[in-house]
Amino acid sequence: MLTKFLPKDHLQHEERVKNWEEAIKIASRPLLKKGVIEKKYIDNMIKNVYTNGPYIVLNDYFALPHAQPGIGVNKSGMALLTLTEPVDLLGHPVKVFLVLAAYDSSSHLQALSEITKLMMEQENFDVILNGNTDEIYQLLLKGGIS
Amino acid sequence: MKFLAVCGFGVGSSMVLKMTIEKVCRARNINCEVQNTDLTSVKGMEADAVFTSPEIAMDLKQTLKCPVFGIKKYMDQKEVEQAINQFLENQ
Repeated sequence: MLTKFLPKDHLQHEERVKNWEEAIKIASRPLLKKGVIEKKYIDNMIKNVYTNGPYIVLNDYFALPHAQPGIGVNKSGMALLTLTEPVDLLGHPVKVFLVLAAYDSSSHLQALSEITKLMMEQENFDVILNGNTDEIYQLLLKGGIS
Repeated sequence: MKFLAVCGFGVGSSMVLKMTIEKVCRARNINCEVQNTDLTSVKGMEADAVFTSPEIAMDLKQTLKCPVFGIKKYMDQKEVEQAINQFLENQ
């Protein structure tokens, strides 16, 4: 289920990025390329941070960029970017960007709930922080370290 | 009791915050119903307490009658637990 929304080719790793806006743009590339989202959605995700504050930083080093469902979104999906060097997001250092594209208010909830449960366990989150996309994909397939 | 988890659009962060609140309440044996929603819909909803970002909390405190708690990190169980403790102490 999770890998249907977040398949292997949606996982990326970079050493460093210029700023958090660039991180959101790079993280979104696979979704943009496949037509899951349009450029407008990326602009809206960035705008949302300036309007509503950095609440997309959900935990240490982890951000969940997203914007209004259905606007510039053709279907629900997710994409993940991990960084070696943390980048500042309005005062918060971030190393993991999980872009969430929501087509409506419900079709992504199962996948989001699965990955949240997974990330709430520190040992799973450590695998994601390490940034090895093969290991991250294995983790997503299994639904966490058991 | 009923808690609301609020973010800008009610589809992403608020869903995660709802899960953190539920996890804390389960661990503490607090009987509660948690619903997530967006910052416009919340104004027409009834709840015992609202949890949201510090930025949105400033706005909602002006319009809502129930207590509003600002949570910086939605997945931080300690921070959410502190807010719930504060709510329970003031009951």
